[in-house]
Amino acid sequence: MADAATIRRTFVVRYRNVLLGGLAVVLFFAAWQAIFLFVPLNPLFMSKPSLIAAGLVDLIDSGDLFHDLAVSAVPFFIGLVAAVIVGVPLGIVMGWRPRVGYALDPLMTVFYASPLVALAPLLVIFFGVGVSGKAIIVFALSVFPFIFNAHAGVRAVDRLLINVVRSLGGGEWDLYRKVIFPSVLPYIVAGARIAVGRALIAVLVGEFFAASEGIGYAISRFGDLFAIDRMFACILVVMAIAVVLTEGIRWAERAAFPWRVGQ
Amino acid sequence: MTGYIEGRNVSLTFRPPNRAPVRALGGFDIEVEEGEFLSIVGPSGCGKSTFLNVVLGLTKPDSGEVLMHGKPIGGPGSDRAMVFQEFGLLPWRTVQHNIELGLELKKVPVEKRRATAERLVVLVGLAGFERHYPHELSGGMKQRVGLARALATDPDVLLMDEPFAALDAQTRDLMQAELLRIWREARKTVLFVTHQIDEAIYLSDRVMVMSKRPGRAKKIFAIDLPRPREYEMRVTPEFNDLKLEIWNTLKDEIVA
Repeated sequence: MADAATIRRTFVVRYRNVLLGGLAVVLFFAAWQAIFLFVPLNPLFMSKPSLIAAGLVDLIDSGDLFHDLAVSAVPFFIGLVAAVIVGVPLGIVMGWRPRVGYALDPLMTVFYASPLVALAPLLVIFFGVGVSGKAIIVFALSVFPFIFNAHAGVRAVDRLLINVVRSLGGGEWDLYRKVIFPSVLPYIVAGARIAVGRALIAVLVGEFFAASEGIGYAISRFGDLFAIDRMFACILVVMAIAVVLTEGIRWAERAAFPWRVGQ
Repeated sequence: MTGYIEGRNVSLTFRPPNRAPVRALGGFDIEVEEGEFLSIVGPSGCGKSTFLNVVLGLTKPDSGEVLMHGKPIGGPGSDRAMVFQEFGLLPWRTVQHNIELGLELKKVPVEKRRATAERLVVLVGLAGFERHYPHELSGGMKQRVGLARALATDPDVLLMDEPFAALDAQTRDLMQAELLRIWREARKTVLFVTHQIDEAIYLSDRVMVMSKRPGRAKKIFAIDLPRPREYEMRVTPEFNDLKLEIWNTLKDEIVA
């Protein structure tokens, strides 16, 4: 029978990576908290974890946090869904029809590489401070990862598999259903991981410029009011959401595409 | 006498963009009998795989014709199926669903597909691996799936394009014996392309040697060795005589 020391040792070995990562996070916040003991930082400009936690509890209690998150979620999801609907077919056509690909590739590259958030003030002027303006900013930033990844996915389709399906009597539509779409799907999900991060930036920037509610608005207003604890609380919440979304997609990738794990 | 599959004066030139055209086949003639196992050996790039693709219906010759049952081949059909060198398994499908692919494309009902796949999984020796994905299988097992998939649509002709070339030497020997066992049970006409003279003799009723590019039929050897064939047959004087004879015919064509 295993004694307590052995059990403890196997536990440490099994969860070593998680433990090390968690330890670093804990140390980071502990160091942040501790620095105030030695350095006289102005609490007007800098906060510490204990105060941020109190601010977070306050925001949760009052219901403000969930209200702002719910408001921001609307343009976030509308913009992302629109990006999938436009980006995936466009990328697939660019990959499957080389002429379309050659024609559109330079333009798309320019848009993808340039900091489109610079257009945010203009879009707010065009579409106002409501949902539509922000959804369009989200769309503009998050559509390109879908286009480029679907494009790359189609180009990476194994020609042999196309021949296999043709040789077994498959037609054009069968090629899409049995080979092209399943090949491209993991690329689209990988693109979603990038797109989600960009969509979060888009929502925040949109709300910094013009909004009367939403999590980005809350961050900028608390900053203006020098309510640094609450501002940090909102920022940490956004960070946590970003991590949960991107890691969630990463986990879904591993669960949904087991054949890619071996590659 | 006319053959079951007949190639008459088949010529084909590839014209890749921005590169010199390649004459793959230049007046290739062949006759394959029903139920026979015929191997084609030839130097690299002699057009032997190209000819399989013509029979499969994926490639059209520039001139000449290929007949099956006396009718020209116009495109892919369920009377022919190919086993590919690089397996060509769909990585997102389990063994079972890979085997069912051809039946699915033919709109065969699910229960019938499943029954066929279950029978073939046993035939190719993969019982218990139905739910495995290709990346979980060894090379030999992958090709067993490739073979089962080709057999699933019950074709009359099995086209095999260097099916064991991607396997290590021992697995290859094992798979050759397995193929003979399966061929005895399934009784298909087999057109088998290979680089290996040993393999061709061991498996075949006849072995065709092709010339270098543009490929033509150079000589056909009848392999009158008794069946069923065992591994020991490979070290008999008769086997080695044939091997030497085929090598002497082939070696002039090889451009090293």
